[in-house]
Amino acid sequence: MVKLRARCLLVGDAAVGKSALSHMFHSEGTLFQKNYSMTTGVELLLKCVNIPETNDSVELYIIDSAGKETLVEGCEKMWGEPSLLCLVFDLTSEQSFANCGRWMERVRAHCRGLHLPGVLVGNKSDLSARREVESSVAQEWAQSQGLEYHETSARAMENCDAPLLSLARAFQSLYQERRETIQNLSPG
Amino acid sequence: MKYTRSPGDPRNMTDSSLSSLGAKVVVASSGDENHPPENITDGTETFWMSTGMFPQEFIVRFAEATTMSAVTVDSYNVKHLRIEKTASQNASQFELVTEKEFGHTEGHLQSNVVSLNGSSATHLRFIITTGYDHFVSVHRVTVQN
Repeated sequence: MVKLRARCLLVGDAAVGKSALSHMFHSEGTLFQKNYSMTTGVELLLKCVNIPETNDSVELYIIDSAGKETLVEGCEKMWGEPSLLCLVFDLTSEQSFANCGRWMERVRAHCRGLHLPGVLVGNKSDLSARREVESSVAQEWAQSQGLEYHETSARAMENCDAPLLSLARAFQSLYQERRETIQNLSPG
Repeated sequence: MKYTRSPGDPRNMTDSSLSSLGAKVVVASSGDENHPPENITDGTETFWMSTGMFPQEFIVRFAEATTMSAVTVDSYNVKHLRIEKTASQNASQFELVTEKEFGHTEGHLQSNVVSLNGSSATHLRFIITTGYDHFVSVHRVTVQN
């Protein structure tokens, strides 16, 4: 049994549904906030994910950080050193997808060159008539950035646990990899 | 992996593994049951591994108040270590003894001697404030009297 602990940064443009998703994560998919209320700082949510078919678990400290341009700089001070990344865009907004590159740059500046496992999440998959970003395009970009891609709908409560599980698994495999390295070290 | 030191290594002279002093790790902030904190004090090749985020800490309790000139910490990926002590029986009111930045090593352990200036303590608290990776390990702590 291993109890892992990870600081998970939740970022992306304003109004893509980061907080709606994080409340979905937190409430096990039962609570969708119908009224939009912009996050102006950072909100911390704690979520424990058990990894199926193992006795391992990952405690995720989810840092839900404001997406609005003018607020980002202030929020960055509270990011600390992230262990995982959850980058969210709105499937009905080409612009929110185009901005993901800049979010990656911002986040990488906080990582001291360390590998940061993560996921790219296309949210609002229920609004299929208004979709502006094709799955294949998003998938390809995610892969180029070393991220796993998921589509979710916080409103329709679809697939919301997939990104979390993916993050937990990525952190577990990073841990196992590092543990193996340490087991094979030679003495100082 | 073997801990081999040349017979002339000065550290051999006064090194005491913590278990031989009746010392135990009583608190640790991370949990992999295959790499428990007891591994730090047992004087063998095993290790304790942190399981994510910083800071990480462990507290060593001695059987009685012990005077120490230095400790040697064998570790991996530890960047900054802070050592606190207390002379109380109940592991409270820790005060800072020293802080040290460890150099980065790749492929082999870090081994750092940290001077404690003859501090006397019943408990030592080791706080790893940052690391060179997401996870760090501590393999052995030995005390020089």
